[in-house]
Amino acid sequence: MNKINRTVTARALAILFAGSVAFVGCSSSPDDAQMKQLNDLKEEVASLQKDVAAKEAQKSDLEKQIAEKNAKLKKCNDDQAIVKTRLAK
Amino acid sequence: MKLKSMYVVLAALLVFCLGAAVAQEMTKDQWQQEITKTTAARNELSAKAKALDNDLTSMNAQSTQLDADYQKCMDALYALVGSDASKAAAYRSDIESAENTANDLSRLSDADLVARSGDVDALAGRVKGLWENKLSLIPEFWDRLTALNDKVKSLQATLANQVKVYTVGTWAKDRDCLWNISKKKDIYDNAWLWPKIWQGNRDEIKDPDVIHKGQKLKIPKGNELNAEEKAAAKKYYAKKAEK
Repeated sequence: MNKINRTVTARALAILFAGSVAFVGCSSSPDDAQMKQLNDLKEEVASLQKDVAAKEAQKSDLEKQIAEKNAKLKKCNDDQAIVKTRLAK
Repeated sequence: MKLKSMYVVLAALLVFCLGAAVAQEMTKDQWQQEITKTTAARNELSAKAKALDNDLTSMNAQSTQLDADYQKCMDALYALVGSDASKAAAYRSDIESAENTANDLSRLSDADLVARSGDVDALAGRVKGLWENKLSLIPEFWDRLTALNDKVKSLQATLANQVKVYTVGTWAKDRDCLWNISKKKDIYDNAWLWPKIWQGNRDEIKDPDVIHKGQKLKIPKGNELNAEEKAAAKKYYAKKAEK
């Protein structure tokens, strides 16, 4: 009786195992070409993220430069006014 | 028996999970969802990158225009005083040179500064010349010259506070007598002021015609004889005339 019980248990476990594999894998999965397509797309996104980050940094630098140049130009215009006043004295 | 059944159920569960894990991979539905999501992200980033490119092009153009505007403004500024960028650069260099001289003189001890009083006078002359250039009206130069002026005044004040001391040499070599000492450019540059040295050193000089090598004579400040010095000189010449 014990021997029968053990055999039954072992077979049940094997069926369970196979069943779980079949259950999980019963719907179809993408093929290699499709997986490559997905991976290429992900790489493209990663590359674009780097590109956008670099451009945003460039933009930030340019904003600073433009602000400094505007300040220098304003000072030059102010200096012109001062010199005109001094010349008039 | 119950315990044994429980073990069997647990074992079955373990086996099921193991099987599921071994068999786990992306399903087609999951793949499709990933494709859709990643494509959307790609498109969004592409659009963002394009917008940034446009911004950068526009900002670079703006930056170049600002450079041109600034150059135009500076040319106009120099033209106001009848000058140009290259003359302004040379002028800037002259001011820097004067500033360096002022800084060097400022670092000297008082005694060393007295020895270089001629350099202080020369610096004052240079600064005066720099002010005479119309470029001095431009704030950049005006401010630097104002600071230079202050430094020169400070050096001159330091000199004015110093009592000069002259160490007598020999007649044979230096021709040192009160007349010749007073005539020296860095003393009074005027021989007739010799009584100042005499009266300022009565403890050292008994007879103004007799001074000795090594004597340290104080050189009183001033560029003319005071009443006392005039009186002493008058007495001296009267005595000489009697002989």
